[in-house]
Amino acid sequence: MSNQAAVLTRKKLSIAKAAAITVLGCALLAFPFIAQNRYQVHVINTAGIYILISLGLNIAMGYAGQFNLAMGALWGVGAYTAAILNTRFGIPFWLNLPAAMVAAGLMGAIVGLPSFKVRSHYLAIVTIGLGEVINIILVNQQGLTGGADGIARIQMPSFLGIPINTDERYYYLILAVVLLGFFVARQILKHRIGRSFRAIRDDYQAAKAMGVNIAYYQILAFVISAAYAGAAGALFAHLNTYISPDIFEFSSTLFIMTVTMVGGMGSLAGSIVGGLALPILQEYLRVIKNWQLVAYGIAIMVVVLFIPGGVIQLMRRLRGSRVFRRFLADRYAEERFQPEETNVSGN
Amino acid sequence: MRSGIFLQTIIGGIGIGSLYALIALGYSMVYRSMGLVNFAQGSIYMVGTYFGIIWYAGIVMGLHVPYPVALIIGILLNAMLGVLLERIFRPLAKLDLMFMLLGTIGLGFVLDNLFVIIFGAEGFAVTSPLPNAPLVVFGIRILPQMLLLIGGSALLMLGLQVFLKRTRSGKAMRASAMDNEIASTMGIPVNRMNALTLAIGSGLAAAAGILAAPIVYVNPAMGSAVGLKGFAAAILGGLGSIPGAIVGGLVFGVLEAVSAGYISSSYTRGIAFLIMVVVLMVKPSGLVGEVTVEKV
Repeated sequence: MSNQAAVLTRKKLSIAKAAAITVLGCALLAFPFIAQNRYQVHVINTAGIYILISLGLNIAMGYAGQFNLAMGALWGVGAYTAAILNTRFGIPFWLNLPAAMVAAGLMGAIVGLPSFKVRSHYLAIVTIGLGEVINIILVNQQGLTGGADGIARIQMPSFLGIPINTDERYYYLILAVVLLGFFVARQILKHRIGRSFRAIRDDYQAAKAMGVNIAYYQILAFVISAAYAGAAGALFAHLNTYISPDIFEFSSTLFIMTVTMVGGMGSLAGSIVGGLALPILQEYLRVIKNWQLVAYGIAIMVVVLFIPGGVIQLMRRLRGSRVFRRFLADRYAEERFQPEETNVSGN
Repeated sequence: MRSGIFLQTIIGGIGIGSLYALIALGYSMVYRSMGLVNFAQGSIYMVGTYFGIIWYAGIVMGLHVPYPVALIIGILLNAMLGVLLERIFRPLAKLDLMFMLLGTIGLGFVLDNLFVIIFGAEGFAVTSPLPNAPLVVFGIRILPQMLLLIGGSALLMLGLQVFLKRTRSGKAMRASAMDNEIASTMGIPVNRMNALTLAIGSGLAAAAGILAAPIVYVNPAMGSAVGLKGFAAAILGGLGSIPGAIVGGLVFGVLEAVSAGYISSSYTRGIAFLIMVVVLMVKPSGLVGEVTVEKV
């Protein structure tokens, strides 16, 4: 095989990639017009919010190996911060979004403090416990949070005088925040912070010996994940205009964990796949009514037992499989796939 | 008089604490033998309660079998469920904690919702087989059912200790929990021992549920809160330790009752969890600092 052919193929592949990205981008932008009804847009908006929280959980759990099972409660902290600031003081969404991230981030730092002392399932139950405590405070501080009744009449945002008051308009807001969140996460994980996270996850003692400031990075992982949850909370509060504490119970943490693991823990793209797939799957499962949740539970078990890396891993495995390689090879006959070639030569 | 109320609170706490202890035993025994954290334990407790109570409360064909018979049926049926579950848990136990967590939670989800489909989401109250009027001893008022719960749980825990220490199967179980590779070279069927462990853990959960049913409200969602608290109790005592599970359960129950009675009833759950967090920070191996088996 000549070098030239390989370059050509690569060029062809990159053109295909660019085309795919363009098509995907157009589809994303046009989605509210393609959707058959407003409800579908609403489902996707909710999915976007889950993607955002799942990105946060993925950073803490998939990359830094820190069990943050208070994500649902931290999401609640963000939502309540935005709701209280908006209904009490009339502060608009654009200021509430960073405020919610800061409030949730601070709370995340507190939730993360036990990580100095405990790990794995101990850390899991401690964060579950702290999440429960946060939720109980939300229920019981009635003067501030409205108790079990929650907070209603949260204003929807507006942008340069255009009110973002329909699901279709809100869709673009969520799309922008999710994309921003995704690229920020990718940048964070690409550099020093990401390397430290992975070092701590894979072997924290070795990381410590190599001079990684474990305490700092563990808390940082919690803060970043909580900030994502906080942003999702502000988006959620302003989208639904009504929030109540039962939304942010432990079951929401479980849902987010399911989303992340079905998509692929330790892969940011997994968060997007899982965040889109599960809410949509739930909508389709509505047809079988009561069996919906049973089917859902079985689906979780099947994923865990047979594809523990989630859908993303399944896709990677498929790409590496012989069938797929032959498929590619037929397409690009100039370049046969010979992965060993480059490795063996010089070294 | 005040001390009377205090004692009453403590006894109530011990009652609900023995419920937590029996659940915590399930967590700890399974963790010890399989290295698996079974988050479906709360649902298994719920299923066990139904397995027994439906015969007693006239849910199935209007049957009203005597309470002790219902108790035994419930324990046996749930033990059988435990044996079946071993098949599902065997591959799960080889995975990371994250996957165990999600896999067992998924299983719990399936069980919970199957029971919603079969018996409906609304629960029912169960009448106690004992008189409903509280006994009054030295000015302390105790429900007879509460005494039955405490006494029954104590007997079960004692029975478990005797079984583990004195019988052949009990010794084999402990051996396989300690090191399953060596145990299997010694001819101990490790998988069967794990099945037995799960059967005992599930049976204890069923017993706890049926004994507590007249005090708590029976519905398919009853497992989630109790399951979480049982896990907290197991961790509090030291996960994998059998005395730890018992101590952890009782301490958690008493803490909950005292904080409900003296601090704030709406913050009960929160206070109990906060104390658990504090204990873990101070002593991560739990209250009963037994050397726990570190499973890799």
